[in-house]
Amino acid sequence: MGELFKWDYTDYPGYKKYPHLFKPIQIGKLTIPNRIKYAATEDNLNDKDGFITDADVSYMRERAKGVVGGIACMQGVYMDKKRHGQGYVGQAACWDDKYIPGLKRIADAIKEEGAISASQLMHCGRVGAVEVEYCQGPSPVPQRLRIFRPVEVMSKDDIKRCIDEHIEAADRLCQAGFEIIEISGIVGYLISNFISSYTNRRTDEYGGDIRGRMKMVMETIQGVKKVIGDRPLGIRLCSDELLDDVRGNTPEESMITYQMAEEAGADYMSVTAGWQEAIYPVISRDIPQGSWLFLAKRAKEHIKIPVQMAYRLFDPAIPNKAIGDGILDIWEMCRPMIADPHLPKKVLEGREDEIRPCVACNVCLARLFRDAPMTCYINPVCAHDHDPKFHITPAETMKKVMIVGAGAAGLECAWVAAERGHEVHVYDKLREVGGTLLEARKAPYGDEELYYQINFAKVKSDKAGVQFHLETEVTTDLVDEEMPDTVVLAVGPKYIKGIAPGFDRANVVGVLDVLAGKAAVGDNVVVWGNKKPGVGVALFLAKQKKKVTIVGKNKDFAIDINPSFRWRYNAYLRQNGVTVYNDCDIAEITDNGVTVMTYDGYMIPVKADTVVCTERAPNQDLKNAIKELGVEIFEIGDMVIPRNLSSAVHDGYKVGLRI
Amino acid sequence: MPVDAEKEISRLWRGLHGAQDSTIKTFYQWRKAAIGLVPDANPSEIALKGWEAMAQDMGKLFLPRLSFSKGEEAFLKQVAGLYVNTWQGYGAVVKVEPGTSPMEVFIKWERCPWPAFAKDFNAPLKEDVAGCDLVLQITIDMVNAFMNTNFKIETQKAIPRGEGICLRRLYKP
Repeated sequence: MGELFKWDYTDYPGYKKYPHLFKPIQIGKLTIPNRIKYAATEDNLNDKDGFITDADVSYMRERAKGVVGGIACMQGVYMDKKRHGQGYVGQAACWDDKYIPGLKRIADAIKEEGAISASQLMHCGRVGAVEVEYCQGPSPVPQRLRIFRPVEVMSKDDIKRCIDEHIEAADRLCQAGFEIIEISGIVGYLISNFISSYTNRRTDEYGGDIRGRMKMVMETIQGVKKVIGDRPLGIRLCSDELLDDVRGNTPEESMITYQMAEEAGADYMSVTAGWQEAIYPVISRDIPQGSWLFLAKRAKEHIKIPVQMAYRLFDPAIPNKAIGDGILDIWEMCRPMIADPHLPKKVLEGREDEIRPCVACNVCLARLFRDAPMTCYINPVCAHDHDPKFHITPAETMKKVMIVGAGAAGLECAWVAAERGHEVHVYDKLREVGGTLLEARKAPYGDEELYYQINFAKVKSDKAGVQFHLETEVTTDLVDEEMPDTVVLAVGPKYIKGIAPGFDRANVVGVLDVLAGKAAVGDNVVVWGNKKPGVGVALFLAKQKKKVTIVGKNKDFAIDINPSFRWRYNAYLRQNGVTVYNDCDIAEITDNGVTVMTYDGYMIPVKADTVVCTERAPNQDLKNAIKELGVEIFEIGDMVIPRNLSSAVHDGYKVGLRI
Repeated sequence: MPVDAEKEISRLWRGLHGAQDSTIKTFYQWRKAAIGLVPDANPSEIALKGWEAMAQDMGKLFLPRLSFSKGEEAFLKQVAGLYVNTWQGYGAVVKVEPGTSPMEVFIKWERCPWPAFAKDFNAPLKEDVAGCDLVLQITIDMVNAFMNTNFKIETQKAIPRGEGICLRRLYKP
């Protein structure tokens, strides 16, 4: 390497456990102290004209702290005044020198935290033009999804202009102080549109075979290289577009693009999989961690420049092994560091158990597509990094706090309140912490990862001195006896039964008992309720080869699941032969079956041995019992209104700050 | 609460036909209103603009359902199947029949409610054929643009022309 750098990790426990993550690597002429990178992610935090905001600077500063000397890459910038390249309402712009001061704030923040500052050029192509009528692409191929704009074909002049805009923007990013420049060519953005046989049908020199389709990319790489001096230039390209159903590139063609990018001067390759228009799940929790590493391995077999990859590499042991095995060079992260910006730092310091775990729900990305600012399902501080109201600060008055319920809401509230200096006692009638998640984690397709949030909050609670009183039912007498200053009720929802005839029969069972294996369930099952608990238990039972029918009162199925995940559940229900009746209710339950009544009064007989109740209601019993005591009471989580894990965690965190 | 299955199916069947009728009636009601608003325009041109809008929406519905995974022959049948499903939704009796080569199928409408409504609303029957042809042409163009295919569709027989059935040939030239 020839250069001493300030990062010496050898004394840290993380170095001993994961030595491959904390060894240096050379990218071009730049030495990177470790193998960790926060990968570029849009956050919709910038202003409507593309100027950088305080929120974005703080967001990036926290991630820069987290990479402990590694690479922190800011979101991709759009580069054209006409905004065809803009894919997100809060995307940063770089089409004029007036943006340089704002971009410099980001570069400075990253460097002040000791990280290496990277920035990305991103023309969003056929998934862009959020603020204008037409998007741009190499050919007029309509998108599969309605939300995107019609495609306007780029002339050769348009292509030349677009390449120039990349070059000019790269120059501005260098002026802003970024040390690495990256080109985004993934998921359906413009570069990938040129590369893919699905979207590039041109017959001129910018189309044809894979070499023709790469011409625009090659000219862009070569042009950018000329203006960025010694700075490394990276590129993100699909290793597998997952577009075989629409005649996308073959894996062999993708490897040719990697080799050509290397030949053109790319200093590293960020390996990705799938387009937004792909019909396969790629990064959600139903995909096991490490599933895509074979793509990194394939890249390593075809190119010599360093290979980076994100895509379901949440557990540091997986990238550590992959780097050790020589199939990966740099561990990239987006969502895991949205959930916990200091993830790698905690790994290094031997505090893995304090990492707030991403649950791979994709709500962060789903919001971006709906013009909403970044948020995180389980990290309430995400995108509020700049706002002191979201930070944990010492309480002005120390209180004795009784938290009733050791589920997600109660535990979150507990550790936050305890870190603020309160004396916190958590009570639960069960022997274990976790509340509803003890059973909910049994649902298939990755739901066991939901419980990691409980592990995190329990560790944080223990370290903050929270006292646990398990197997203890809280009564008015107990509250009276303990004399807390504040009671936080986190008792979870009530699981209810319907009012139709037959709900009192022996073949009607509760969702938690079914998931816990405590209830006998026949071969033909009706699940009452079409929200997440109903979907989870339906799939749990369908996986046991039972014939399952969901009957739900909500007009829309799985309304409490974000749309970016819901389509997967739809597919899994179809694959497992589950029938769904939305906007319906149970009119009667008998020994042999259920009569389903549609919203408009039609009757459908459904064979069923067992009915599983999953509907929930607010649970105010304890509140009503103790409110006469005059103690300060907060209510959080599903007891207020049954919702989801995210609401429980966010409720818990916010009340933890308020006490 | 025993379910009277015959009664339930009968109610649903009537409801379905009512909804199908309303869909087509709405088009002709819209046509009449639009012609009234623009009395100097050619009524068929107005109607065809309506068909065009329908076709573009139909094409957008088709795209997410298309897959080339099983090859071109299966894809051709898949496209034909989408036309069948669409017209079945209107209440037509329609099916796909094999052609003389793997890359040819025929879509056969044995019964279609659209011409009857055209008569009820005093719309010329030739406009009905032209409208259908336009819908098929626009949608197949969208499919071709999306999947880089070059399928053609042509009308060989039409119920509104008194030929008993509608017969369309979908093929790769």
